[in-house]
Amino acid sequence: MTVPQLRSLVPALVFTIAYAAISLGVTNSYYQLVLTLVPVWAVFGLSWNLLSGYTGLISFGHAAFFGIGAYTTALGQIYFDLSPWLLIPVAAMLGGIAGLLIGFPTFRLQGHYFALAMLAYPLAILYVFEWLGFQEVTLPIKRDAPIAYMQFADPRLYTLLALAIMLATILLTRLIERSRFGMALLAIKQNEAAAEAAGINTLAWKLRAITLSGAIAAAIGAFYAQVLLVVTPQSVFGMLVSAQALTVAMFGGVGTVWGPVIGSVILIPLAEILHAEAGARFPGIQGVIFGFAIVCVILVAPEGLFWKLRDLLRKRLAPKAAATLDDSQAPATTVTASRPARQRAANGEVVLEVRNLSRSFGGLKAVQDVSFKLHKNEILGIIGPNGAGKTTLFNLLNGFLRPNQGEVLIDGRNMSGERPHTICEAGIGRTFQVMRPFLRMSILDNVVVGAYVRARTDEEARKLAADAIARVGLSAVADRVAGELSTKELRLMELARALAGQPRILLLDETLAGLGHGEADEVVAVIQQLARDGMTIAIIEHTMQAMVRLVDSFLVLDHGAVITEGEPEVVTRDGRVIEAYLGKKWMAHAPH
Amino acid sequence: MTGKNRTAVTRRTLLVGASSTLIASRAWAQQPSEVKVGLLVPISGLYARPGTVMREGAEMAVDHINAQGGIKALGGAKLKLLVLDSGDTTEKAKNAAQRMVAQEPDLVAASGAYLSSFTLAVTEVTERANLPVLTLSYSDLITDRGFKYVFQTSATAGSQARQALPQIIKLAETASGKRPKTVAILTDNTAASTASAKSMRESLLAENQLQLIVDETFTPPLADATSLVQKIRSAKPDLLFFLPTVISDAKLLLEKMNEFGLGQGKVPTISFGIAIAEPDMLQTVSPELLQGVLTCVASWGAKGHEALIAELKTRYKEPWMTQNAISTYGDMWVIKDALEKAGKADRVAVAEALRSMDAGPSKYYPLGEIKFDEKGRRVGAGMTIVQWQSGVPVTVFPPELALAQPFWPKS
Repeated sequence: MTVPQLRSLVPALVFTIAYAAISLGVTNSYYQLVLTLVPVWAVFGLSWNLLSGYTGLISFGHAAFFGIGAYTTALGQIYFDLSPWLLIPVAAMLGGIAGLLIGFPTFRLQGHYFALAMLAYPLAILYVFEWLGFQEVTLPIKRDAPIAYMQFADPRLYTLLALAIMLATILLTRLIERSRFGMALLAIKQNEAAAEAAGINTLAWKLRAITLSGAIAAAIGAFYAQVLLVVTPQSVFGMLVSAQALTVAMFGGVGTVWGPVIGSVILIPLAEILHAEAGARFPGIQGVIFGFAIVCVILVAPEGLFWKLRDLLRKRLAPKAAATLDDSQAPATTVTASRPARQRAANGEVVLEVRNLSRSFGGLKAVQDVSFKLHKNEILGIIGPNGAGKTTLFNLLNGFLRPNQGEVLIDGRNMSGERPHTICEAGIGRTFQVMRPFLRMSILDNVVVGAYVRARTDEEARKLAADAIARVGLSAVADRVAGELSTKELRLMELARALAGQPRILLLDETLAGLGHGEADEVVAVIQQLARDGMTIAIIEHTMQAMVRLVDSFLVLDHGAVITEGEPEVVTRDGRVIEAYLGKKWMAHAPH
Repeated sequence: MTGKNRTAVTRRTLLVGASSTLIASRAWAQQPSEVKVGLLVPISGLYARPGTVMREGAEMAVDHINAQGGIKALGGAKLKLLVLDSGDTTEKAKNAAQRMVAQEPDLVAASGAYLSSFTLAVTEVTERANLPVLTLSYSDLITDRGFKYVFQTSATAGSQARQALPQIIKLAETASGKRPKTVAILTDNTAASTASAKSMRESLLAENQLQLIVDETFTPPLADATSLVQKIRSAKPDLLFFLPTVISDAKLLLEKMNEFGLGQGKVPTISFGIAIAEPDMLQTVSPELLQGVLTCVASWGAKGHEALIAELKTRYKEPWMTQNAISTYGDMWVIKDALEKAGKADRVAVAEALRSMDAGPSKYYPLGEIKFDEKGRRVGAGMTIVQWQSGVPVTVFPPELALAQPFWPKS
């Protein structure tokens, strides 16, 4: 681990030590119990965060794993007389397996459907445990070997143990956050399709996430049973348990290691204080106040306290950031926009060949019988009016869609119908018409996602990302967060992300869209430089102006079919092209 | 556990107990004011209603005890009731118990915590704090753990089912002149219902020569009871055991029975537990539909409690006295007796007094004595059978406690 990584762990360590010091000074057994429950629910929130916070796939059913863990410690002690010291790791294993079993079918669903399907698991398991006759299970009291069975006379030991589990979970989460694993999860959250296109095997990473998340949830569920000493299906599989994970994580902040910890540190003691103080005078009022407080915080800080505080802090430091803004604009503008003297490579080696590619959606023939060749080092412009089938063609090329017929040959090998991440590995990178960057992450972090398809280690990935950023001329602003960038810089960042995977062929989807005149020229200059460096590029655009100066040849589509192809000078004078763009009456003005 | 260890612990606790009593008795000598007793029950959330009734029973008992001169062995010290909310989850119940033992060190005993699962969690805490707890919860598990500080005043679930069946058959025989032979079981899948149905299916029905001809389990809440009732109608059982937990389920089934011409006792309907006899029933189900429905409960306002029932009615507007009120009322008197016997306001001494107590026949719990066996179960604990008669569930069994004669619906 590098020094900055070690330094980032300091807050976690300081927090844990401070918490431990405070809890050691508390002798009241009730306060001590509350102090134990805080890290317990924090860890449960962290396990939820690991899956749902980072991938954006909301799980309403984390109680399934929690309950499996709790019942493992309870039943393992009752029927096999095993120690919880052993049973907690066993529970983690079972939770991991459950995660895999649940994830495999459920990841076919997305968005709300995934959330609802997850909701069903703990409820179904709850009934299974009731049916099995485990409505009320109590952990046997072990008077002769309390330590061996984790039954401490001093409640502070439970707190310390819970803290140890929490620290381990925090460190693990930090580690994941900064590795290829975390980047993959974030990429999935941002845009699952784009992640696949960047070479990320999304299903595999999601399964890894739910397995790990299930294991952590089960381990803490197992520990919770040890604290509560009584396990009932409602108390570990119930709706409220799943909700607890969401509550602490969403209150504190989603997608950060500190969110669940902050949420738990505030909410758990608050609920108890309300219960003890307000509840004694007006029974039930505690729930009303608690609920109201949560509603207020969510309204003020919808992403959680952590992000709200961070944004406030950033705003206070903003003037300083603005000062550095001006000189950071410089690098991208230094490249000249003039047409380079580059030898056209139209007769070079064929790296991508498309043969008779067709795809229809119901009755709509989006792409019909398209064939073309892409030569090494060529810039091919694919143009056509809106709805001509340009993006569908790209989706067929990079594997988002399967063609109804036809072939896509990459270096002579037919890759049509392969998954996007496989095609990405074969050397095709792509950008998207609609940009979805991580606004809170730095440019470097945004770009590194794309590098993992080539990089073996995290370090190598960072290096590739830095190189890619340099190639598009954003090095000077690499540490700025994406939320502060202009559209042009975001386009270049997208380009860098595709470059980070070191593709041989780049598919650029409307990279110039939404850019002003001068800005478009800058981007064009970068693309030209890439081509000079040996990249093969296919670019979609429906405005022709910038393209004419950029490309070596055009492929013109209309109604899904190729109208014509050839050099820009020829194509722009072609009557069919003018007709497709402007309609028949302009034909008269066309030069013949 | 080694014997050596146990003596060590006992000696230490005795020493601590003795010294604290020494301090305590000196304090008492100066100021014989009050002795704190805990009541840990749900007074918020899903189970707030039964918990509130338990509090009413406890308050009445404490007022009566204090009005009659308090704890005489402590110079007339008054009882002070401390109510803690166990909330609606096992975790909240356990937290409340921890709060109780941590922040009320001079508590001498407590009663609680309504649901068996809450009582299980609460007693895990109180056992470790040497605080004696009386409970009306049924689960056999509560007193199967070898705990020394929990005392179960109700007959356990297993024992109740065993006691009830012969009585029901006897009741049917005397009222209708013939012995029932076939039964149907309709039960929801909650903990208490499943436990009762299970013991009936596995042994009790066979032991009582009853044949099970319909056996249906449903998940509350029911959406429609038609198919269930159709099964009953075509099978025509002599008895129907109906075990709902949710009032809406009870309403739905009873109404459908009536619609199919099976209601008002055409098929005698017997329940277990308190759900079907709660005052809330009358808010949704008409008294005519309930007429004749029987239920077997651990305890109920009965003969000898007439004054209490009347007081509960005027003071708290409760229409009748459920097990929750009368049992908790009784708990306070048992704690009072234990305090008199112990002669000091000390939890360990009170627990010891409870263990060795032999206060003769029980006044507030049905049958048996005020005496606990080595597990902490009340010796000879009986149960009551309650029947809806003219819109009130009244105790009809055992005869010595019955407030009304049972009637067996004519078929």
